[in-house]
Amino acid sequence: MKDIFVLIEHRRGEMRDVSVEMLSGAAKLGGTVVAVLLGKDVDAFAEKATGYADKVLYVNDAMYENYNSELYQKALSALIREHGPGVVLMGNTAQGVDLAPALAVELNAPLVTDVTALEMDGDKPKPTRQFYGGKLDAHLAMKDADLYILTIREATFVAEEPSKSGEVVKADNPVSEEIPYRKFLEYVEPEVGEVDITQSNLLVGVGRGIREDKNMPVVEELAQAIGADLAASRAVVDAGWLPSDRQVGISGKTVKPKLYLAVGISGAFQHVTGMKGAEVIVAINKDPDAPIFGIADYGIVDDLFKVVPKLVEKIKESKGA
Amino acid sequence: MCAEELDFVEKYDLLGCIQCGRCTGGCPVALRTDLRVRCFMNDTQNEERLEELSEKPEIWDCTTCFTCAARCPKGLEPLEVLIGLRSLQIEEGKVQPTVRDALESIFKDGNPWGSPRAKRLDWASDLEVEVLEPEAEETTDVLLFICCTDAYDPRVMKAAQALVKVLIAAGVDFGLIGDDESCCGSEVRRLGEEGLFEMCDEENVELLNSFNVNRIVAISPHCYNTLKKEYHGLKVPVLHYTELVAELLEDGKLELPKEVAKVVTYHDPCFLGKQNDIYDEPRYVITRIPGVDFREFDRCRERSLCCEGGGGKMWVESESKEERLAEIRVEDAKEMGAEVIAVACPFCLLTLEDATKVKGVDEEMQVMDILELLAEAL
Amino acid sequence: MNMVVCVKRVPDTSESEVHIDASGKDIDKSRLSFGINECDNYAVEEAIQIKERLEGAVTVISLGSKESDEVIRMALAKGGDEAIRLEDDAFAGGDALAVAKALAAAIKGLEYDMVFTGALTDDDGYAAVPVALAELLGVPHATYVKKVEILEPGKKAKVGRELEGGLMEFLEIDMPCVLGIQTGINEPRYASFKGIKQAAKKEIALKSAADLGLDVSDVGEAGSWAVLEQFTPPVVGEMAEILEGEPDETAAKLAAILKEKGLV
Ligand SMILES: Cc1cc2nc3c(=O)[nH]c(=O)nc-3n(C[C@H](O)[C@H](O)[C@H](O)COP(=O)(O)OP(=O)(O)OC[C@H]3O[C@@H](n4cnc5c(N)ncnc54)[C@H](O)[C@@H]3O)c2cc1C
Ligand SMILES: Cc1cc2nc3c(=O)[nH]c(=O)nc-3n(C[C@H](O)[C@H](O)[C@H](O)COP(=O)(O)OP(=O)(O)OC[C@H]3O[C@@H](n4cnc5c(N)ncnc54)[C@H](O)[C@@H]3O)c2cc1C
Ligand code: SF4
Ligand code: SF4
Repeated sequence: MKDIFVLIEHRRGEMRDVSVEMLSGAAKLGGTVVAVLLGKDVDAFAEKATGYADKVLYVNDAMYENYNSELYQKALSALIREHGPGVVLMGNTAQGVDLAPALAVELNAPLVTDVTALEMDGDKPKPTRQFYGGKLDAHLAMKDADLYILTIREATFVAEEPSKSGEVVKADNPVSEEIPYRKFLEYVEPEVGEVDITQSNLLVGVGRGIREDKNMPVVEELAQAIGADLAASRAVVDAGWLPSDRQVGISGKTVKPKLYLAVGISGAFQHVTGMKGAEVIVAINKDPDAPIFGIADYGIVDDLFKVVPKLVEKIKESKGA
Repeated sequence: MCAEELDFVEKYDLLGCIQCGRCTGGCPVALRTDLRVRCFMNDTQNEERLEELSEKPEIWDCTTCFTCAARCPKGLEPLEVLIGLRSLQIEEGKVQPTVRDALESIFKDGNPWGSPRAKRLDWASDLEVEVLEPEAEETTDVLLFICCTDAYDPRVMKAAQALVKVLIAAGVDFGLIGDDESCCGSEVRRLGEEGLFEMCDEENVELLNSFNVNRIVAISPHCYNTLKKEYHGLKVPVLHYTELVAELLEDGKLELPKEVAKVVTYHDPCFLGKQNDIYDEPRYVITRIPGVDFREFDRCRERSLCCEGGGGKMWVESESKEERLAEIRVEDAKEMGAEVIAVACPFCLLTLEDATKVKGVDEEMQVMDILELLAEAL
Repeated sequence: MNMVVCVKRVPDTSESEVHIDASGKDIDKSRLSFGINECDNYAVEEAIQIKERLEGAVTVISLGSKESDEVIRMALAKGGDEAIRLEDDAFAGGDALAVAKALAAAIKGLEYDMVFTGALTDDDGYAAVPVALAELLGVPHATYVKKVEILEPGKKAKVGRELEGGLMEFLEIDMPCVLGIQTGINEPRYASFKGIKQAAKKEIALKSAADLGLDVSDVGEAGSWAVLEQFTPPVVGEMAEILEGEPDETAAKLAAILKEKGLV
């Protein structure tokens, strides 16, 4: 079996989880796992990758300090041509998606993005991915090719404990000069203070169940622990406990976060219309018949004042761990 | 924009206005927002100001309740000027995202709620109902026209379900349209989207005329008003459900064996009362329910207070922090000791029920559609 | 500034049950409604806003059957100037790379400074067309774009890409270029019904594979690498999974679920 290349993703001095996940997953597919690392003085990442890969191909050059898909493409296509792997895996992340399709076109290689399960049939991958916003799994068959490029959704593979002790191979930088037509400028953190809930990834929705203004810290702490923004039903906005730009619903905002955690919200149609597109909906409500449970993925039927403080505790614990 | 569209003076007979101010004087939302409809009757005479006026947020505060028109001594319809200004914004594409989404959903799925057409009939899934075939040989007496809000809002659909139960109990020969049923467009027109309303008119008239029925009965006063007064070319008469039920009770076809021992008041929907003079039928129906202790609001019939549910207000929140009119209504009902506010409109049901929660009286006071009271009495 | 926007007509399945058809390789679309792909709606708005600020023309392109005219007209009603629709039986069954090839062939002949696409589609969601398209056209690209600032019309733009966790990556990019637009970059305007009807008077140029100089073996299923074997429904419950136990236990269970899903 040919080698499997796994592109290590890192940003601002941190190696991203998806890298270890992919290395762990690749190890189970059989074949030699080669971690490919482009960066500037990221020896520590190379070191870490040896625990998961048979070989770490490390190009150390100042031009890779920040991600630039055009530079990455040049470097990767050269390394691939030189080493001839059968499969290249990268994260289906803002980096991977900005790179993989162009690389596939350049190398005339089959591409499958956003893979959620992967098996091998000899040298040929058999990927599964989702269609229609996750409503269907599609099992794909690939035509014959020498090289396949796949981008892997985060959390598809489980990050294991390190079990290999690969070698670090320092490779010459195959790219001789910076490219002039696409230049990295800077990273900008999302603005704090100015919250636009339509752009939030994580939302804690607060409803009339919170009862009083002075109880707001209960949910504020929860939001803080998760790293979420607060949203509200009209009841809470009417009461003046949150400003009107936090209102979700037919006469408020339509939100599509990854997580909508509804606390003390009954789930009136006017509210639900604005948040039903959330990827994961969790509801905490003391009324087992509250309509919100009809659209939630997970529910806790209990007094929010008992559950939420515990939840804050547990989340802090799990983050600390 | 062509000149013809801009000619407000002629279109709305602005020169007929004597600036008496009765319109603003009667306007219920003038109590809580900046809307002064009389000023618009004056200011829109200046063609050059139309664009600026159309950008004023208060044009979206109008609930199209019709009070201003009902009170105008010159027979003008000031609310139409506001709708005309909204149209200018619509043509420019400049509308609130909530309004945009509702209109796009009507275009795409035939309802403003962003819900799929395929789920239009889900509300009736546990009921024995007949979906009528177009061009059927046999004539059916009644074709029900179910409002989008009744079809999709889980709270409001209870009223539609009650209607079916009542009609079955009375042995009425009726049927439904099924999932080809589309929004009547009442709110579409009032949001100022004339073109889309014309589409609703054309397509619905063609659809409704394809059924072999004696009459159409609408559950919502908004649909009723539009089908009856704003559509072009409908072949059969249109009734509101309160008219049909009153007829069934009068003819002895509907019997109400059970008592509903409750103090009940009735809130007149603007689109049934002020706009169509249907005041007596709902009262007749309610008072025929055994056990009901019926009381009138002080402000009732022609003087009834608007609940702020119509005129596109479902999608546009007023900036006002003043008490909502529905809340005033609930307070009045509480004062007279009502246990139930009976309504005959999906929007009133929503706005008033919401207000009982805001006022914290939802334990002791219920908001119910008359149909739900009837179902309890069966 | 001349701009091209690629738009795709997609079924709206956000709230409908999706049923696999008898072939196992497609879904039953008979009861679904269709509309413009969500990101593409933002891409259209971005192009039109730039046109309104800097002048120029916007060409709308879609690959799809006659029904796609509806989404093209909507884009024209909002301010698009010209339209092209790519239609050919040979395009059927193409993966993202095959679609990109057809789009590239159509765009090559145009004068353009910027090409806007959506970042990904609501149906297939490969998120591959913009980047592949740029490579085929031989111009720079950026995708997941949530901010565009024109530095020098026709020459340079500053774009912000949205990364995980809301972090923005800013970069400078030369024109011509291809940008994959993310939702939320702007507030799309409403296309009134009258506007759409008026737009129906504008001509939509039809192009086949042959018109574009493409070999049928290059496009559609023949030109694709991935072949759909089978759809299967993923396992998910209808109602909420209610977590049972004392507050202590339910909170712990929920925290574990959030962690497992990578949400905290
Ligand atoms: C025209 C119109 C437009 C509207 N637009 C919107 C809109 O845009 N957005 C919107 O949100 N609403 C809107 N509404 C209002 C909507 O109909 C509902 O009234 C509102 O969403 C209810 O808010 P809620 O769920 O917070 O309150 P409620 O419905 O009162 O629910 C409170 C919930 O908290 C639970 N609870 C109470 N105490 C506890 C406790 N200690 N622990 C756990 N659970 C508890 C209760 O069981 C209940 O389910 C609109 C209404 C109208 C008429
Ligand atoms: C196995 C398989 C079978 C298929 N069968 C069919 C089929 O039977 N019929 C069929 O029509 N398609 C078929 N397709 C094609 C598929 O629906 C997509 O059009 C194609 O894969 C593009 O990928 P995407 O939609 O995920 O685009 P993405 O890469 O997610 O799209 C990003 C952006 O590219 C642009 N774009 C994408 N597609 C188009 C388009 N068509 N026109 C204009 N701009 C576009 C849009 O701006 C979009 O936002 C099939 C694909 C596969 C893999
Ligand atoms: S009531 Fe009629 S006449 Fe009087 S100001 Fe209003 S519109 Fe003019
Ligand atoms: S229709 Fe009603 S809300 Fe609108 S202006 Fe007239 S009185 Fe006021």
